[in-house]
Amino acid sequence: MDYLAHLTLNCGIFIILAVSLNLINGMAGQFSLGHAGFWAIGAYTGAAFSTFAPLPIPDWMNLLVGCGVGGISASIAGVLIGIPCLRLRGDYLAIATLGFSEIIRLIIINMDVVGGPRGFTNIPKWANLGWVYLWVVITILVISNLMKGTHGRAIISIREDEIAAESLGINTFKYKLLAFVVGSGFAGVAGALFAYSQQFIHPNGFNFLWSVIILLMIILGGLGSITGAVVGAIILTLLPEVLRLMGPTISEWRMVIYSLLLILLMLWRPQGIFGKHEFKIFSLIKRLKT
Amino acid sequence: MSGPILHTKNITMRFGGLMAVDQVQLKVFKNDLVGIIGPNGAGKTTVFNMITGIYTPSAGEIILQDKNINNERAYTISKLGVARTFQNIRLFKDLSVIDNIRLAGHQKLTYSGISSILRTKNFKEQEEKLTEKAIKLLKIFKLEDKKDFLARNLPYGKQRRLEIARALATDPKLLLLDEPAAGMNPKETRELSDLIIWLRDYFKIAILLIEHDMGLVMNVCERIYVLDYGKLIAEGNPSEIQNNPKVIEAYLGTSEVD
Ligand SMILES: Nc1ncnc2c1ncn2[C@@H]1O[C@H](COP(=O)(O)OP(=O)(O)O)[C@@H](O)[C@H]1O
Ligand SMILES: [Mg+2]
Repeated sequence: MDYLAHLTLNCGIFIILAVSLNLINGMAGQFSLGHAGFWAIGAYTGAAFSTFAPLPIPDWMNLLVGCGVGGISASIAGVLIGIPCLRLRGDYLAIATLGFSEIIRLIIINMDVVGGPRGFTNIPKWANLGWVYLWVVITILVISNLMKGTHGRAIISIREDEIAAESLGINTFKYKLLAFVVGSGFAGVAGALFAYSQQFIHPNGFNFLWSVIILLMIILGGLGSITGAVVGAIILTLLPEVLRLMGPTISEWRMVIYSLLLILLMLWRPQGIFGKHEFKIFSLIKRLKT
Repeated sequence: MSGPILHTKNITMRFGGLMAVDQVQLKVFKNDLVGIIGPNGAGKTTVFNMITGIYTPSAGEIILQDKNINNERAYTISKLGVARTFQNIRLFKDLSVIDNIRLAGHQKLTYSGISSILRTKNFKEQEEKLTEKAIKLLKIFKLEDKKDFLARNLPYGKQRRLEIARALATDPKLLLLDEPAAGMNPKETRELSDLIIWLRDYFKIAILLIEHDMGLVMNVCERIYVLDYGKLIAEGNPSEIQNNPKVIEAYLGTSEVD
């Protein structure tokens, strides 16, 4: 039971990470490989807040403030890294964001006050399954509502055709930055929630491999689909556990299996499980009725 | 009478050693319907790219309503009232027809990202108005029955029309059309000619268009500029242009008149 609860909680954290990365990579079409960096910033600032400066208020309020601290810190980092990097294109942006997230990790390793290479221990257990899924719902609602307005359309227009978007009066840089700031902010919230539920975080838990895995989640689900990001996050969180059940050898070959899975997916359905579409319960019911 | 809304003063564009556009002088007045013609590679599209801020001229000045816009970004120039279509259609192919139009209304919307997230009344009202306006525009272009289609699924001629509709959704004062009839059959081209004249009168805008279809240009345009190897070689009304020896030579001198 404990094991299942732990898995469910991890699914929630990764749903937030995948849905937020999807805003940057899938919706705005900006190839970021630094999501683990924002996740780490949220986790460490959140943990630092809970350890060094908790407010004299009930735990659940502190949790919300802590999530705010993690989210806002990551957003600010998003602005600082976004302003120079979002002018870069494609591969360059990927390399720059990847470099940024590794720098964040190295800075943390060298910061004794947050535990350095030993990791950050004794973080209070403020979060539980309920709180994590409340944030899952908030993340999905905020991002899907944003996408239905003109800000969201502007973000998508960048992915679709940047020159056409500019020629229609859309300041594409501004909207890239918006996607980046909102996306990194929610990654920061996921970090704080992660810290408050695991009670222990380690810099290597945020290495670039995790950025790649989160990216795989959204590619698997379908770049640009929120539903796809959710499903991709669940599949890739559960998959290693399933592989573990199949014995230690298979489990060791995890990354190879991921790669094979991805190649198969590219052959079978290059647009991901959901493509750019959302799963709409109402239109499904309508279709079943007719 | 006021001056021109657009005046390019000797604009020049160099790409490395190539003079794509060489000291070109254009004037477009209110309610004008002006054409730019010239053989392939003459620099016509490059002129549009300079006017719309995609390229910054190497020399010369672009004056839009008494304001120098040489160094303005493309989105600012759109705000100042210039809209365009592209030679190789640039629709948002994976968005619906109506969302292509709605996107172009971006400038007119004032609600914040927060009110979009919270679905406020202000958000809903503005979105409703936007949708109404988009449908009106789609009706003009006979595309309203296709409003929920993905843009990529429209036939070619309709994609061209949708791109014009999308440009108009920004409420421009000056509309630039880059080969609007390319790929259209003769019937579609004739309908397009009528539509262009009608749009100019209905929306009270000036239109500057690049076109290879001589029938369309001669029918529609009141004034024509002729470019050859980046240089302006002639300017005048359709009959003047048709009888201009320089123009005849430019066209006969090239093997390709498509
Ligand atoms: N971005 C660019 N870089 C280099 N050369 C270009 C660029 N854009 C256009 N050109 C060149 O400038 C010339 C004019 O091109 P263009 O304006 O597209 O001609 P037109 O629209 O009249 O057919 C061509 O020789 C073309 O190859
Ligand atoms: Mg051209």
